[in-house]
This record gives sequence, structure tokens and C-alpha cells, in this order.
Amino acid sequence: MCKDYVYDKDIEQIAKEEQGEALKLQASTSTEVSHQQCSVPGLGEKFPTWETTKPELELLGHNPRRRRITSSFTIGLRGLINLGNTCFMNCIVQALTHTPILRDFFLSDRHRCEMPSPELCLVCEMSSLFRELYSGNPSPHVPYKLLHLVWIHARHLAGYRQQDAHEFLIAALDVLHRHCKGDEVGKAANNPNHCNCIIDQIFTGGLQSDVTCQACHGVSTTIDPCWDISLDLPGSCTSFWPMSPGRESSVNGESHIPGITTLTDCLRRFTRPEHLGSSAKIKCGSCQSYQESTKQLTMNKLPVVACFHFKRFEHSAKQRRKITTYISFPLELDMTPFMASSKESRMNGQLQLPTNSGNNENKYSLFAVVNHQGTLESGHYTSFIRHHKDQWFKCDDAVITKASIKDVLDSEGYLLFYHKQVLEHESEKVKEMNTQAY
Amino acid sequence: MPELSSGQRVGRESGRFLRCCGLTTTPPSPCVQPCCRPLCYEQSERRLHKSLQMKMEEMSLSGLDNSKLEAIAQEIYADLVEDSCLGFCFEVHRAVKCGYFFLDDTDPDSMKDFEIVDQPGLDIFGQVFNQWKSKECVCPNCSRSIAASRFAPHLEKCLGMGRNSSRIANRRIANSNNMNKSESDQEDNDDINDNDWSYGSEKKAKKRKSDKNPNSPRRSKSLKHKNGELSNSDPFKYNNSTGISYETLGPEELRSLLTTQCGVISEHTKKMCTRSLRCPQHTDEQRRTVRIYFLGPSAVLPEVESSLDNDSFDMTDSQALISRLQWDGSSDLSPSDSGSSKTSENQGWGLGTNSSESRKTKKKKSHLSLVGTASGLGSNKKKKPKPPAPPTPSIYDDIN
Repeated sequence: MCKDYVYDKDIEQIAKEEQGEALKLQASTSTEVSHQQCSVPGLGEKFPTWETTKPELELLGHNPRRRRITSSFTIGLRGLINLGNTCFMNCIVQALTHTPILRDFFLSDRHRCEMPSPELCLVCEMSSLFRELYSGNPSPHVPYKLLHLVWIHARHLAGYRQQDAHEFLIAALDVLHRHCKGDEVGKAANNPNHCNCIIDQIFTGGLQSDVTCQACHGVSTTIDPCWDISLDLPGSCTSFWPMSPGRESSVNGESHIPGITTLTDCLRRFTRPEHLGSSAKIKCGSCQSYQESTKQLTMNKLPVVACFHFKRFEHSAKQRRKITTYISFPLELDMTPFMASSKESRMNGQLQLPTNSGNNENKYSLFAVVNHQGTLESGHYTSFIRHHKDQWFKCDDAVITKASIKDVLDSEGYLLFYHKQVLEHESEKVKEMNTQAY
Repeated sequence: MPELSSGQRVGRESGRFLRCCGLTTTPPSPCVQPCCRPLCYEQSERRLHKSLQMKMEEMSLSGLDNSKLEAIAQEIYADLVEDSCLGFCFEVHRAVKCGYFFLDDTDPDSMKDFEIVDQPGLDIFGQVFNQWKSKECVCPNCSRSIAASRFAPHLEKCLGMGRNSSRIANRRIANSNNMNKSESDQEDNDDINDNDWSYGSEKKAKKRKSDKNPNSPRRSKSLKHKNGELSNSDPFKYNNSTGISYETLGPEELRSLLTTQCGVISEHTKKMCTRSLRCPQHTDEQRRTVRIYFLGPSAVLPEVESSLDNDSFDMTDSQALISRLQWDGSSDLSPSDSGSSKTSENQGWGLGTNSSESRKTKKKKSHLSLVGTASGLGSNKKKKPKPPAPPTPSIYDDIN
């Protein structure tokens, strides 16, 4: 015998399967899952590394000019031509194409088109857009097909004029969601409201609204799906800012300079208990009488990608203006204090500070910032995109340049995109809970 | 611990290859290098600590002195190093045996092509800013090649959603109902109103006759209301009139209209032309005729100021001026003239072919010679004493 080590494919295959079984056993018994996967059921295994097959090896052998993608590569970045006031669209496209989980979905070709006419499918166009933007081609892409499709499917956005990036984002997500019919994994046949398309998996969060009756303290809860969180800013006519002095600082590691509002402040205001006045008495379900009540919004289910929208464009009866107040936002965000589960401590007006507990479930990382320069009537959108950790790039239509973290954090901020740091297995129990919630 | 560069798998424990920390937020996709950071120091420290604890439990602590502990620590350290080295060896061995060892060789030259550039004035690909004016794309609706930066306004008109789209569409419908010939010309009218329209310049000459949109905002706005519903109200409703119906106008209104607009009555629609006084589709003669018809024999064609209406295309001012003069003077040479109208004009002048020939040569010459056209203007003025004639069908044949 040659006394050499041998690698037999069949034995290795058996070993792999056995390992998978062992891991599944481990996963179901432990409360904390050690490996991170997409929430696709059935994948209770270690993520398999890519091993070449024989035909692939041959092909690679014929092509000696191989490149290994490093973090200083331009692959993944590409400019977008402005088709005439379409900077708002370009920014949203840059943000979406650099959403890690969405990128992985489209680059692994997971979309199965079931539209009657595929040339009108926006998801197919997204797929093609990803291919274009990750091709490594240095000349900017012309997204004319995307514009055409968006105008066809979202008529209210059609027209040659400057538009709002946030409005475009919501409309685009809506059309993508509608066109995602073929990709639903494990359709819940009984529950038409619970769509499981990639858009819903990634962007849909659950906003919980609790109305507490002041008399009997009965709570009526509703949970609404939401794709983004729109935050009021100080200085707007709707704002109510309890800026108490000497409050606790550096939640989420934001540099707390007195006078500068932070994203956490805005979120705190968003989730504060609001006393509905005597003019808005609601009939309480439990004590059957009209009583004053307190309403509170919290997050019931956190989406994988959280989009925060600062309401900078004010269209009130008195005036129409843009609020340009600088809001400081962090690179890393912990959403635990704003969850429904943290509600009890909030009722007293205290904010539960996130502890360094190893609970990474609600931690987010910033990966895209969309900014607006100019006035309410006319302006220009640009975006900052995170390509690799701590590597940011400014996308100004067709021109992509390197940006520093300071540039990003000093920018005004209009739309902020945060991505969950830890993606969980969706165990059967959790899935059941989700279907009930909606 | 030995220094390990990224990309190497390390360690082997009880038959399974140890991965690194294993914490990635995204599952690695085939095009991205699998994440394999070296065994992190905290983990190796922890392991060292654990092994030390185990060994210490084996022997009682009481009989040990420093040197013994040192020896144990060394032994554990050596174990770990050996493990990781062995792991690495197996890795390479496996790669060679299965035939994918060569994959690690990458081509450094082609890798340089993709390096990010970080210099002022250049984007990350090393390109200069603002060089993308010439990008083009194909419109999915009309399959024409459009400049990329003008695609949005074009698509708006193409899909019939713009401010002017309904008016243009109406005109097209009105015209195509009566004339089949000029349909292809009218189709391109949408884009004439685009600024910076980068269409072939040779086409501009042909389209000059219809370059003035009678409904462009610079026209007399007060009369737009008489056209029917405002086209601004609903872009999807079609406006049914492209001219002005003179029956509804009072004498004062007519007078004011005729001082600012062409006013020539179209034979098919029986409506007055709302274009400017220098509208190239109609001749001065026609305009004069109309004025005399409405306002009496003393009506005079108002003097036209030389202010230019350049919303249609970007020519030089001098060129525009000259083209207007040529239109004014060479009525018998405009493409819309039919043979019959030519003859009637020539009868009036008595100059016959001579003048037309001379004018043709003027056109061939460079545009700078104004002297040549002067005689054209001169001969034009001789037309005044001609008796007014009601508009005849022959003149209007090919105009619209």
C-alpha cells in the first residue's frame, strides 16, 4: 500500500451528513444558535464551503488569469447615470444593491419568475441590476429599464420631476413584493397575509401599538407590518421633545454632545407613551366605556434591514420647508430598548440601557446613508455605501469616490439603513408565533 | 502562536477541521473568499488554559514547582503548534490530491485592474468625473436611441404623461385624420421640444417647417382657454382643438389675436393658426389675406420684431435669423408649396423662374451673405397692391 492519506468522496459525503445530523440535534436543544444562516427552513447544518467539482476544475485550469476578490477591489461598486432628475432612484438602488442579505439572494440567482410576462417583472430587473453592478465594469450603468418598469407599475411616481427618495423606496419595495410570487418558500396556505417572499423576510418588521385604558388599565394591542420607521425631528411643528437636562448619555455609543439630537433620541420619542387627550377618548374593550388612554408604539418584530426615515420635509398648513437639523447617528445600533419586551421599564419614563450581555439579537450595523442637499423644491440626492467593514464610498450618480467614516457620520442623514448583525435560524416555534402575530 | 495569514484553515481536533471564529454575518457566496480568519488568540488562550487546568487536575498541585508548570505549559504549547501545523499539512495534501492546489495562484496583473483608486478628481476606477454625456440607451417604448441623461423627459412624453403630451397627441390625431403624408414628420415633433436633443443635425433642416409648437407656453396664453379644456388639467384627457375657432371670437379679440399670431385659417379644420407671426407654415401673403378678410382692406400685417423663439432647437442666432429671412422671402420655395401655388406666386411677380433660381443659389452659398436675400425681401413687398383673394384650396394643400 502507498501508505498515503486518501480522500474518498463517498466517505466524506457520509461524514458530512453525519455531522449535519449532529448539528441539527445540537441546534434544537440549545437556546442560542451558534451558526448564522438565512431563515430558510431545513438548513440545520454548517454552511458548506465551496468545493470545486471536476468540470469546474478543468475550466479553471484553462483560465490562468484568476483573481481573488479582496477588500480593496472595485467589484461591487458601479456608478449609475442620472436619467434626468433620477438621483433619488440611483441612491435607493445603491442602498438596495449593497444590502448584504439581498445581495446574496440575487447573486445566488434565487429568483424564480412566475410573472405572466417576465420582461415586466421588477424582480427580474433587480436581478439583472445586481449582475450589472457586481460585474466590475467601470463605466456607469444606465438604469433606463428600471425607470420604465417603475413608472409602469407605480403610476403615481411616473413623470419627469424631482421626487422623494423615501417614497420611491416604499413604492419599489411594494412592487418587488408583489412580483415575488415565485420565491415564496413554504407558503403558508392558510394565511394569505403572511407572505414569505424575500422582501418580507428582509424588510418587514412588526410595529406594535398598545392603547391602555386609563380607567381599567386594559391594553388593546395591534401589530402592523411596517417597512420603515419615520421619525419626527426637533423643530417640526408636530414635535414634542422632552429634552430634560442631564439625561443618561452615550446609549449606543453615540457621542452625546448636549444640544445635538441623536437617532436614539428620535427613537425614544417615537416609542414614548403618549397620552391621548380628552378629545380623543376611545371605547375600551374591557370596561366598555369611553375613557382617556395612553398609546405607545414599540417594535414587536425587528426586520433584518431597518430603514429609518427622518421627516425632514414638512408640509404643514403653515409652511412647507426642509428641516436641516443635524441628527447624529451611530455605526452600531442596539434596538433592545425599543422593543415591545422592554416596555415595562419605559412606562416609568426610564430608558433601559442595553447591557453588554452577549445578546446580539437586536444589534444592527449601518450600511447605507441617503442624503439630500438643497431645498424642498429642488435638490440633489447622494448616498454613502458601506462596501466592507469600515470601507465607505460616496455614490453621486455616476461618480463613486472613497469616503471616510467621519464623512458618513457628519452627513445630515435622510434615510438610514441598518442591517442586523446576527441572523437567526427561524425555528419552527418562532415561525408559528410569526404567523399568529399577523 | 505562529503568525497565520488569512485563508488558511488551522487546527485539527478529533478528526474535524477547526474553523476559525466562525462568526460571519452573511453566508459566504461562491464569488467571495470564504471567511477563514486564523484561530483567534482568545480562543487559543482559552484552549491553553483549559488544557492546563486538565493537566493540573491530573497531578496534584502540591508537589509542583514553577519549573514543572513551565514544562507542562511548553508541552501544551507544542501540542497546539503541532496540531495546527498538521492541520495545514493535511490541507495542502488534500488540495494536491484532489487537484485544486493550483487555484491559489492568482494573476497579479489582472488583479491590479480592479484596485480601488483614491485620488482627488478621480473616481474609484481612476476615471475623470463628468465624462458620461455621450451615454445612450434604447427606449423600451418606441425603440429609439436616446441620450441617457435625457431619457426621463423622453419617456414621459413617449408614454403620454407629460405636460405637452396630450396636446402633441391631439395635433397628431387631427393631422393624421386628414393627411397621411405628413404623419412621419409629426411623430418626431415630441422630441423637437426637447432641449439638447441630440438627434442628427441633418434632420433639423427638414423639420424646420413644423418646429413651432402652436401650443408652447410662450404663445399668447390668453387664447389657450378658448381651445377647450386646459391640457394641464389632466394629462390623460385629449385636447380636441389645435387651433382657434374664429366664429367664437369677437372683433376686438380677433384684432388682438391677429396682432400677435399668424391667424391663417386652415382649410381642413377651419381654425386659425395660433403660431407666431413668422410661422413658416404659412406665408405673409396668407396672413395678409386673412387680416384683410377679417379686418377690412386697410388691415396691415403687423411688424414682426426680430426676437427669436429658440425653444425648439439650439442653433446660432445668426443662423436662425437668416433662416427666417429666407422663409419670408422665398415663399415659393418652401417645401409645403405645391406646383399650383408656385405658379400663382410667379404670376404675381412676373419674375418666374429667375427669382426662384437666384434664391436657390443663395441657399447654396454660405449663410453669411445677407445681401442676397435683400432682393428677396424687396420683391416680397411688391405683393402688397395685389387684391385680396379668399383663401383658395390650392394654397393650403400641402401646408398641414
